[in-house]
Amino acid sequence: MVTDSPDKKSGRWTVIKRVAAAVVGLGVLGGGGFLAYAWYPSIAPITPPQPSSFSPDKIRRGALVAAAGYCSECHTRQDLGGGPDLAGDYKMETPFGDLFSSNITPDPETGIGTWSEEAFRRAMWKGVDREGTQLYPAFPFDHFTQMTAEDISDLYAFIMTRPAVHLKPRDNTIPFPINIRLIGQGAWKLLYFTPGRYKPNPQKDAEWNRGAYLAEGASHCSSCHTPRDFMGAEKQSAKYDGAVIDGWIAPPLNAHNPTPTAWTEDELFAYLRNGVAPLHGPAGGPMSPVPHTFLSQLPASDVHAIAHYFADLDHAAERQSGDAAAVTTAMQRSGTDLVGPTVDPDAKLYQGACGACHYNSGKGPVLGRPELALNNALWLDEPNNLFMVMLHGLTAEEGQSHVAMPSFYTALDDHDMARIAAYLRRTRTNRPAWKDLEKKAAEARATLKTPPVNASR
Amino acid sequence: MARIEQIAARQDGRAGLSRRGFLLTAAGAGFMFGFARKADASQVYPSSLPGGGMFEPNIWCAIGPDGTVNVNVIRAEMGQHVGTALARIIADEMEADWDKVKITQVDTDPKWGLMVTGGSWSVWMTWDVFRQAGAAARTVMIEEGAKLLGTTPAACSAHNGVVTANGKSISYGDIVARSKPTRSYTPEEMAKLPLKPVSERRLIGKPVAALDIPSKTTGAAIYGIDAKLEGMVYGRPKMPPTRYGSKVVSVDDTDAKKVPGYLRYVVLEDPSETVPGWVVVLAKTYPAAIRATDALKVNWTAGKTHSVSEAQILDRGRELIAKKEGGTYVFDDKGTEDALHAAHNLIEREYICASVAHYQLEPLNALAQQVGDTWEIHTGNQWQSLFLPVIAKALQVPDSKVIMRTYLLGGGFGRRLNGDYAIPAALVSKAIGGKPVKLILTRSDDMMFDSIRSPSVQKVQVGLNADDKIVAMRHDAAAGWPTEVMAAPFMSKGADGKPYDQFAIAGADHWYDTGPTQIRAISNDLAKETFRPGWLRSVSSGWTPWALESALDEVAHAIKQDPVAFRLSLLTATGRNAGQAPDSTGGAKRQAAVLQRLADKIGWGKTQLPADTALGVATTFGQERGMPTWTAAAAQVHVDRKTGVVTCQKLWLVLDAGTIIDPGGALAQTEGGALWGLSMALFEGTEIENGTIRARNLHNYTPARIGDTPEMDVEFIDSTEKPMGLGEPGVTAIAPAIGNAIHNAVGVRLRKLPIRPQDVLAALREHHTS
Amino acid sequence: MTIKFEVNGKPVEIDAPADTPLLWVLRDDLDLTGTKFGCGIGECGACTVHVGGRATRSCITPISSLEGASITTIEGLDPQGNHPVQEAWRNQQVPQCGYCQSGQIMQAVTLLNDFPNPTDADIDGVMGGSLCRCMTYIRIRKAIKEAAVNMPGGETSNGQN
Repeated sequence: MVTDSPDKKSGRWTVIKRVAAAVVGLGVLGGGGFLAYAWYPSIAPITPPQPSSFSPDKIRRGALVAAAGYCSECHTRQDLGGGPDLAGDYKMETPFGDLFSSNITPDPETGIGTWSEEAFRRAMWKGVDREGTQLYPAFPFDHFTQMTAEDISDLYAFIMTRPAVHLKPRDNTIPFPINIRLIGQGAWKLLYFTPGRYKPNPQKDAEWNRGAYLAEGASHCSSCHTPRDFMGAEKQSAKYDGAVIDGWIAPPLNAHNPTPTAWTEDELFAYLRNGVAPLHGPAGGPMSPVPHTFLSQLPASDVHAIAHYFADLDHAAERQSGDAAAVTTAMQRSGTDLVGPTVDPDAKLYQGACGACHYNSGKGPVLGRPELALNNALWLDEPNNLFMVMLHGLTAEEGQSHVAMPSFYTALDDHDMARIAAYLRRTRTNRPAWKDLEKKAAEARATLKTPPVNASR
Repeated sequence: MARIEQIAARQDGRAGLSRRGFLLTAAGAGFMFGFARKADASQVYPSSLPGGGMFEPNIWCAIGPDGTVNVNVIRAEMGQHVGTALARIIADEMEADWDKVKITQVDTDPKWGLMVTGGSWSVWMTWDVFRQAGAAARTVMIEEGAKLLGTTPAACSAHNGVVTANGKSISYGDIVARSKPTRSYTPEEMAKLPLKPVSERRLIGKPVAALDIPSKTTGAAIYGIDAKLEGMVYGRPKMPPTRYGSKVVSVDDTDAKKVPGYLRYVVLEDPSETVPGWVVVLAKTYPAAIRATDALKVNWTAGKTHSVSEAQILDRGRELIAKKEGGTYVFDDKGTEDALHAAHNLIEREYICASVAHYQLEPLNALAQQVGDTWEIHTGNQWQSLFLPVIAKALQVPDSKVIMRTYLLGGGFGRRLNGDYAIPAALVSKAIGGKPVKLILTRSDDMMFDSIRSPSVQKVQVGLNADDKIVAMRHDAAAGWPTEVMAAPFMSKGADGKPYDQFAIAGADHWYDTGPTQIRAISNDLAKETFRPGWLRSVSSGWTPWALESALDEVAHAIKQDPVAFRLSLLTATGRNAGQAPDSTGGAKRQAAVLQRLADKIGWGKTQLPADTALGVATTFGQERGMPTWTAAAAQVHVDRKTGVVTCQKLWLVLDAGTIIDPGGALAQTEGGALWGLSMALFEGTEIENGTIRARNLHNYTPARIGDTPEMDVEFIDSTEKPMGLGEPGVTAIAPAIGNAIHNAVGVRLRKLPIRPQDVLAALREHHTS
Repeated sequence: MTIKFEVNGKPVEIDAPADTPLLWVLRDDLDLTGTKFGCGIGECGACTVHVGGRATRSCITPISSLEGASITTIEGLDPQGNHPVQEAWRNQQVPQCGYCQSGQIMQAVTLLNDFPNPTDADIDGVMGGSLCRCMTYIRIRKAIKEAAVNMPGGETSNGQN
């Protein structure tokens, strides 16, 4: 689908914002030792390799690595009606200016056609381009550094056999001195970057280690799901505690995940494979392409491995004994105020706008009736995801395939969104009330540049 | 808007020609429903009638050579299945084969006379005319059939579309085909024809599938909003800040121009003064019109009512009631004032009803174009005779140059008695040279200037003597008067000879013997200036019983009498309450009968209910004294003392509407009406705020939904009396029955509609402290 | 933007602004006027159609979200208009003005797919989003129960596609 709405995927600007903010303060750093650390030599350009120089099997394996790493998501233009696959120019907005991703097709002038495998591997492992320039850590080399040489070699084969696209990304608009990458990015790496391949955990089985390898490496899950410190680095002390991305909350993937039922291996697999989990609902926002565009291409065993890994991280085994009771409670809450007469104006608003699609009863939710009493959006500490999905809706390609949720952007004003959020939090969870809801609704609305739907109250 | 490359509508050769266009091309005299039981009954047919060898004994019906019977219906179809009910009357008298009956919902034509659908009048007004029209057709069929069968009319009988004599028979269709009868009857001639005795009725009172229903289950039914014409553009009004008195100062369409598909705006010049200060935005598509209208910037000077609130309107009502002068007396019995003054005990209460919006589900819309020198207005409407001249005045053409094309109404409830929405469509079409313009109001546009049920203040005074007998009564009601604003010549004359709006007092002019009685209707001028008061389902009979039936209940409790027995003691059917044939034969005795039947049914005074749960009753005479539908209702409610929430658990209704034509339709209307009564009592209601209606859509207007529906038991008294109306009476007794039940449950009296939990809580607190 | 989806089994290609609500494409471009404009804010249900088999409010669903989707309107529910829910609606004489009934029927069909033997609570829960201003609710409830008996049994979609 071609969309002229840039809002849907405006980039991981929150990450960039934090990184960019951090480097402003780096003037104090310097000195010869630092420069020695930050400086890398240029690697000689090569003539672009012939596609036939790579075996079909190798290219196929590389395609899977590319899918696991979502390369095209950030290396394909989304605004201006979209761009050619992998040709870069993907816009990431920061408070300091815009960044545009690089063209990674094998075009020798505007892409990476002149990069040798060694140069490519160095970029993946160390965050340095062929000429030795430091890359912004928006490129998650801090994760890719864990990838095996073999996977990177396969990925190289895949990338270099893609159609070369002559497209020069727009110039970044990051001003001086933030744009001095040698100092800024170099310093950041000094502080936060630990290069090195993934080391299997001998205490865990092979499936766990495969899942961890993918999740921590190519799939770089914690880029979004781990909060960052003031320097824009992932807080290792709060790994997978969840974080805000593009106005959405990437929920905690550890035991801090607040949903009343555990993210079991089965739930995670269904979610990561099909974009919808029976008890947790559909994937929305920036998460949506992860299952639909990318992980659905991987062997099922790899997706199972990732699910296996996170089910361990979130202690599903210990928590899931409470699931049956949690589902029973949720089923009771689901019909609150929808059954029999209701005069509460907030309940009436929910009944009209939401109830027909979200009501459930019986033993468990119907697939296709996301149960809000079980859903992350209602149980997180902040209402971001509830508001964002109300505003955007879900396309037929997002969340549960072929099914769409309307956009309530024009239907509900900030006050009404706040009413629904407060009402649901009060009646469908046992969490403390959200605060400043109307203001937060307005903030969520402000993240959309244009109304998704042309309607009027 | 869109370029469609692959779509069946285009492939089957209908490109550019909408369904309505197809209808108009093929016929041009209305739309049709039928046949009753055929598999394809769900279709809306292009009319192939009249002509084609049809025999038309009068303007109301025709018989074709194939036996088809067409019935012309001038009443709007808005959910009452009015065509089915009326066709049953004519078909029964005609002895037609029901399976061959079709209905044509006709476009306007002076020959139809008064085209209005409201007041629950349709069956009542049509009963005699259609029986006579049917009798005319039957008479001719028998006369001509006798000739073809070689016998005398006296030897023939007609039944189910066939004339039979001496074992031989011939169908109506064959009679028309072979004899080609041409005889037609004047109304005077028809009035003299003998009608069938009640015992020979074969269709009236029997269950029937409504002819309009099949197409409403398949999406084929065509409403006004579905009308399309080749080359039409879309319009949406930009609403001024006040209903009256707003003037356009300037318009800036800089931002509107950025909306793809925006065409232009038109500042309306309206000689009929129906839509002062309205601006209409035109666009190629309706979504573009929506967005461009939002983007258009208009500066107005607002009318003087721009800050008026509901509270001010109610205060003005109180002020007018307090004045001795003003208003019109409907009842003005001598000695009332003295008797009240001298009463041993004077019970005086004030009752309030808040603004209610129609929220008919099809937003207001109209499609206008000029064809030659005639203006065609395609729209669903309830009072064409009233608004066609207004449209003509707006366009500055004679009435004869305007025709209103008839469509299904996606809900009327009285909103479409006011045809104001057709005016901007006509004017904006005129502004672009008569090209077709489809004007659609968004819901908030529709609600902002809805012709709401006016907020009202009522004061009821009942004087009692030392023996607790009523010695006099007075009822004052102040509200905005719809008929005064929109149809002044239709107003009634009071006992004092002054005009008044019968739709702003009917229901108060009760059938109880209350000694000398004064009933005064007062037009609330501030209401009239601020908004356009509307007729809303049951009109005043939807709110005057709130005062009357609550007050009588209060009196009964005050004198420690059973509220049912007390009412029955007042329904003596003497004097003006004796009734008059044919409309109110039996008078108040029939009201007493429905009340007694209700009391028996619900086990009044004999049932044990859980704590804070009780029954309440109320009784009315439906819509108006001249056409009484005797009605009694009971509600069982539970009051939650902690939250103040009132739950209506069950409703019972007993009605005597005379002869029931279509039992299923009668029940449907009563169920729907009763739920409107419930909804207006407990769920919906709004207020005037800053000169306009506060509620604009379902985010802050909350009519009853399916879960709010209580159990319901409706019973009609068997009767062969003249049929009365049933579109509205179901509404009338519900709110007071609920209010009375609340009192019986927890001892508090609510005097304001709608009943909100906070009001119940406040009343409970007050009750507790007192 | 150009967008392709399926309406009542036929492929459709629409060129219209991305934010155009599906409702107006159905009504004005495809001449499928059985789907109605009621509140325009997804609160009344008159515009309900099926997207991927699920009841969806078309008045606030932009076409940009429907690439590749399969849409069914009241006109496409059954070729002869004889879906068990439609038949039950006629048997119970449900419609009055009828304006909401396309939406009610489309909603009821998915109700019965999800809850083949719906309780009164299920009917309240799912049908509560569909406003009927004529208040035909008593008959809607009866018709749903009748249709539940007559719907092809055994296999339920349970919302899966």
